Amino acid sequence: MAYSSEKTQEKRRGFLDPRTKLALVLVLALFVMGGLGGDMLKPVKTGLSALPFLLLLIERQWKRFARGIVMLAVGYGLLFIMPYLPGALNYIALLCGGILTRFVVTIVMGEYLISTTSVSEFISAMERLHMPQAITIPMSVMFRLFPTIGAEWKSIRRAMGMRGIYLSGTKAGQVLEYQMVPMITSSVRIGEELSASALTRGLGAPVKRTNICRIGCRVQDGLLLFLCLAVIAIWILELCGVTLW
Amino acid sequence: MKNENKLKGRDLINIGIYGAIYFVILFAVAMLGMIPIFLPLLSVLVPIVGGIPFMLFLTKVKKPGMIFITAMIMGILMLLTGMGPWPLLTCAIAGILAELCVGSGKYKSAKKAVLSYGLFSMWIFGNYLPLFTDYEGYFAQRADYGQAYIDAVQKLMPLWMAPVLLAACFICGILGGLLGRALLKKHFEKAGLA
Repeated sequence: MAYSSEKTQEKRRGFLDPRTKLALVLVLALFVMGGLGGDMLKPVKTGLSALPFLLLLIERQWKRFARGIVMLAVGYGLLFIMPYLPGALNYIALLCGGILTRFVVTIVMGEYLISTTSVSEFISAMERLHMPQAITIPMSVMFRLFPTIGAEWKSIRRAMGMRGIYLSGTKAGQVLEYQMVPMITSSVRIGEELSASALTRGLGAPVKRTNICRIGCRVQDGLLLFLCLAVIAIWILELCGVTLW
Repeated sequence: MKNENKLKGRDLINIGIYGAIYFVILFAVAMLGMIPIFLPLLSVLVPIVGGIPFMLFLTKVKKPGMIFITAMIMGILMLLTGMGPWPLLTCAIAGILAELCVGSGKYKSAKKAVLSYGLFSMWIFGNYLPLFTDYEGYFAQRADYGQAYIDAVQKLMPLWMAPVLLAACFICGILGGLLGRALLKKHFEKAGLA
């Protein structure tokens, strides 16, 4: 007999295993953003770039999908109109376009990873990878805190803007002090509350933690992991000087 | 005694909290690096601004290993954000050096803390390493940014800049550490955080 909570967990189970997501982020970061590999990987990279958008659609993250597509479209649009622009604008358009088309894909993938993975899923995946606790606990705290810090910083910037302290208005030193100090203070406070709640739930206790999350390899994970391996294999072949096409 | 030196859950969570703040600040500053003139300047800006959260972090560091883990996590995050595997290496070296430095001050000395942040900051040099180890390849990969960008970066980053950048990281790390200490006294101690 299955417990009801087990059923909910099964329902809540993500489309992909966190480990697959991590592997995908890594491959995208190295090949699409880092620009590893030469001409032979170009078509592969184009295919890879579509992947995070597909995943967002499958997980029904319409907003993120739309934002990513718009940014990518702006990037390609800039590259497209670039030759028709005069002088200096031309370089700026090319630079912005180059950066956008290169970075957006990996950023979208990272967003996908963070927004669709719960902390317990992440920890349980890391445990199965046999990562030491010294790495998994700080990492999971960080992934939990990134959006919070971003939100805090945004509201502090707004509050300080109301008092006339913003980047173009006052001295950089003042901005640094009046924006960073409150941001750090409130983030540390939030972090301390988080740490108290995590400790009561036994994070970092000397015993082995159990976890109710269902993760594991399914067909789609297998396919995507195979894709990652294939990309790396093509890259190695290219390094050895083999031409496939 | 041995048990006291072992890292507990709270220490690891602290690493996460301060690591996250440090990384967010670093990321915000590093966005400037898209503009060619700021690329070498990052080795000045990042250590100075990052000193504020890091000095606060050092007040929580009482056990060996915490700085090294922070450095390694920075390396992993750099790998995930597309800076390649070099930062992992420099992070390991800088982390160990910073760790030894704070350790020699028994985790209390303020001077050693500032010096240790200078040593820690040297990991940032790892982000520049692919540029210097493979000068031609680096620019070939960035051909789609346009010739103007490449010319600008090549003018700003001749090969002899490598030791200059490393030194800049260290010196600005110390400056950032001093700034961090000043703000620590002015704000964080009053707020009861340090």
